Amino acid sequence: MKKIRNLLATLSVAACAFAFGSGSAAAQDHTIGALFPLSGPNAVYGDVFMSGSDLAVEHINADKMLSGPLSIAYEDSQGKPQPAVVGMTKLVNVTHVPYVLSAFTGVSKAISTLAMRNEVVAVNGGGVGPDLASLGKYFWNVIPLVNLEVRAAMPYLVKEKGIKRVVLIYIDDPFGNSILDELKSTLDKAGGELVDTLSVPVTAQQFSGIAAKVRAAKPDAVYIASYGAQQIQIVKQLRDNGVSQQFITYSGYLVPDALALPESEGLIATGQGVNYKSDDPVTKRFVTDYEAKYKRAPTAYNVNYYNAVLIYGILAHALEAEGKEVTGANLLAKREEMKSFNLVGGTVSFQSNGTLLFPIQVKVVKNGKTEVLTTVSF
Amino acid sequence: MLALQLTITGLQTGALYALTAVGFSLIFGSTRIFHFAHGATFIIAAYLFYFMDISGYGLFLGIVAATAGAIAFGLLLNRFVYVPIQRDEGSFFTVFVASFGIGIVVENVVGMIFGRGFVTIQTPLSFSTEVMDGLFIAPLSWISILCAAAFFGILWCFLKFSHMGMSLRALADNPELVRVFGLNPRFISACAFTIGSILVVPAAIISGATSGLNPAMGHHVMLISLAATIVGGIGSVTGTLLAGLVLGLAESLALLYVDSQWTEAVTFAILFLFIMLRPSGLLGRSAAH
Repeated sequence: MKKIRNLLATLSVAACAFAFGSGSAAAQDHTIGALFPLSGPNAVYGDVFMSGSDLAVEHINADKMLSGPLSIAYEDSQGKPQPAVVGMTKLVNVTHVPYVLSAFTGVSKAISTLAMRNEVVAVNGGGVGPDLASLGKYFWNVIPLVNLEVRAAMPYLVKEKGIKRVVLIYIDDPFGNSILDELKSTLDKAGGELVDTLSVPVTAQQFSGIAAKVRAAKPDAVYIASYGAQQIQIVKQLRDNGVSQQFITYSGYLVPDALALPESEGLIATGQGVNYKSDDPVTKRFVTDYEAKYKRAPTAYNVNYYNAVLIYGILAHALEAEGKEVTGANLLAKREEMKSFNLVGGTVSFQSNGTLLFPIQVKVVKNGKTEVLTTVSF
Repeated sequence: MLALQLTITGLQTGALYALTAVGFSLIFGSTRIFHFAHGATFIIAAYLFYFMDISGYGLFLGIVAATAGAIAFGLLLNRFVYVPIQRDEGSFFTVFVASFGIGIVVENVVGMIFGRGFVTIQTPLSFSTEVMDGLFIAPLSWISILCAAAFFGILWCFLKFSHMGMSLRALADNPELVRVFGLNPRFISACAFTIGSILVVPAAIISGATSGLNPAMGHHVMLISLAATIVGGIGSVTGTLLAGLVLGLAESLALLYVDSQWTEAVTFAILFLFIMLRPSGLLGRSAAH
């Protein structure tokens, strides 16, 4: 009797060991990080970004692309560098993620050194400052940067719309200053003129005085380079205070809150070109499922963060197939090895600086939606 | 013409700053409670008006709802947060942290209900018309200035001539003496919260129409209120009113002399100057005798 009991106990232990052992070998949970603005005046972007990344996680898990379920650990960056560094430190040292989604120029620049030092891949799908192309090999961009947006918009507007005199209102941070530099050189080359530049503090909410300065400059158009609630406040207050000139802005304005504002009517904005009607299966599945889940049409930001997560899925899947560990260094090596990726919008390749190249569309806001005026490829 | 335009713009901004700041100053001056959640009162009033507006209930019911919400929030906060803390002899810092926390809770609850994005109260009154060559004024500019004048006129008369007004001033001067005279400081504090919360309502509604709303704007409101209270002199309603106007005008007129990114810094440069040169503020009384 005692022998039988001992045998059963031994068999039980062996069965448990086998079960747990085989389980851990076959199913590895995957967690990636994300530093999105989830509170404060930029929180509207957090919702937009998450809708894209969450859908990608659903698709990757449904397809069983990885050995275990994928999840995202979200940290609130508030769209500011300091909270972002705190969040990044937690993601790197506590959650131990190999891959982090980032957004906003200031945030991305602040966390890039941590990413480089800890060999963690940081992928930006929302910040568009041109400096983001030179933050090291562990920093990738799945969004075309704003220098391309300015280069696409201004020659077209000077030539086709006769816009020569432009006033720039820009936020006083690295992103705003990069637009200032780009707009100066692009307008010079295109035959236009930057007649006045008005920078605004990040926390400013009153722009009626700025409107008076804009009117005094008598421009043909006003280029607005801010983000979050502030950019919408600028558009509203300028229109309310008698500025009737053409407004021009960049992809950061293409969020539902901004487009719904009546004062946005006629505004010209640039953004990456995505063919949502493409027949390729990745794009088709994304568009169908996004519209079904969120009851609205997707925007470029949704595409970017979907793509950012999908790239992780593709790279991690390839590493697991080779029996390699999914680390930041291995993800980088695999990305450099794989020349192209099938993402939403088609098959794309990274440039040597880690940035994806998309065509840029110049769009006009009509009845709360955008209509494409022209598409510029680089 | 630019100077005249910026002066009128500054007066409008200053009137809104003054309305917000005087409410805070009245509460702080009378009760010595650092009511950081005053910014949350602003948010509650503005979003309640916005909700009534988009629901089609009209202007009057919108104002009633915003006012009722602001008063209820102020009174409930006083009764269920500040009074218990003070009863247990909680420090100034405890009250501040509690108030700060309530402000964050309100920001998040409003964000959950109305979304965390930007909303605006749509009205034709916010559109400017050219009244002279190069001078644009919106009806809301006049309404802001008239509103501020009317509210301060009523407040001044109330504080000067009514029994409760005198009690409020007495509470600010000497709470112990108020008890000796048989008055109830808790009831007087509740009145201070009621009046302070009412004062923020016109500023919240007009700001919702002119500059739009998002749940996070309470901190900015509070920052301006604090600066105006210190510059005006802690406890001085008239001083805070003048300081609000001065800060609004300075922020706007600074555009004539400095680059636009420094306009907000002008507010804090004035605050710094007052702290250095006249710590008791414009009309405040020095604590040292």
